[in-house]
Amino acid sequence: MSRQVVIILHNAMEAAGLRRVIDDTFGIDAHVLHTIDQLLRLPADHIDVVVTDAQHFVENLRTFLPRKARTIVLVDKPALGDGDINIVDTLHGTEPIVDALSAFLDEKDDETSASLLSQREIEVLRLVASGMINKQIADTLNISINTVLTHRKNITAKLGIKSVSGLSFYAMMNGIIDPK
Amino acid sequence: MTNLALINHDTKLSDIVIAEPSALTVLNRFGIRLGLGDLTVARACAQLGIDPDFMATIINTYLHEDYFPDRIHSTFKAATIVDYLGQTNNYYIHFHLPVIERHFGLLISKSDPANNNLGLMLKFFMEVKQQLLDRIADDHEHWFPAILQAEANASDTIETSIRTDDCDADTVEDKLNDLISMMVIHLSGKYDTNLALAVLMALTSLKNDLTQNNRIRNRLLKPMFHVLINNH
Repeated sequence: MSRQVVIILHNAMEAAGLRRVIDDTFGIDAHVLHTIDQLLRLPADHIDVVVTDAQHFVENLRTFLPRKARTIVLVDKPALGDGDINIVDTLHGTEPIVDALSAFLDEKDDETSASLLSQREIEVLRLVASGMINKQIADTLNISINTVLTHRKNITAKLGIKSVSGLSFYAMMNGIIDPK
Repeated sequence: MTNLALINHDTKLSDIVIAEPSALTVLNRFGIRLGLGDLTVARACAQLGIDPDFMATIINTYLHEDYFPDRIHSTFKAATIVDYLGQTNNYYIHFHLPVIERHFGLLISKSDPANNNLGLMLKFFMEVKQQLLDRIADDHEHWFPAILQAEANASDTIETSIRTDDCDADTVEDKLNDLISMMVIHLSGKYDTNLALAVLMALTSLKNDLTQNNRIRNRLLKPMFHVLINNH
């Protein structure tokens, strides 16, 4: 099933550039929208990710808060990565945006498989279970710490397991790492 | 979360236990057993020589997640709470932890030997158990003596580093939640249903008791300790 990414930014040049990056990286033809009304006319369950900016997000909280789990908010300041909202700073180019999109789109790729976790989440779980901290995982997988945090949040939500020990034992039980 | 009204001096102990059986563990730690008759909080406390406000506050804090004592009475003794929490720790060591271990052992012995999930869960439980025992040892070796020392005003050099539950490391409660999730969500293979239920109930009972007693630590004992420290 094709994946739907929607871009809604005040800056039309940035929106066009991001659309090209998404096409180059994921082979997805993202929809660039200009108004919130256009977004509201699209069926919500057909959209995998909405990428927007802080101004749109803040001005349209009633629209975005119910969709926050599938929304990426771009900001031009250092972003705190541990809240409920997926905030990505654009200070370091497009790489963090691609990382954040990967977290959503990898997850979507595996929804039809029998596994509870996506391949990327299994990889993150393996590294957590082997004792790595978030920074080491980010370096090993060449992704940002924000993306590691997003993967960890998704893993905990899917498995109901939060502690490092709990995740390690889950990984052993499922053959992701060898039992100690 | 209980629907029971707040406890006062005239509340019958039997009404409390019938509405919330887990309250019996609290009463046990005060030396009160089943066969409660029409004993009220006030009469039980008169027999035991305990401040009835104190017992009502302990039970309310234990049972009601949203209850914060509006004031710490001057008659409350930190030593009494330390004694209560010491009894609680003994209960974990001599009752809760052995029961879970015994149920786990039986579950594994009666289940498919090829099912290694249960063995790994037991291993995880043993890690949680050791962490809880270490925490209890820390209570008895450091925190409780520091509180008793502060209340007795015995020395000017009081250890002020007390246990907190908000550090970054995974807590016993986090891990117990995970163990419960593992059983409820991820248990697979052939196993004895009744024994699995027994393990699950025992784990849940321990987790709930720890959570409820943490409220007594955090909402009663810690504020009292800070007052004692500031009075020095």
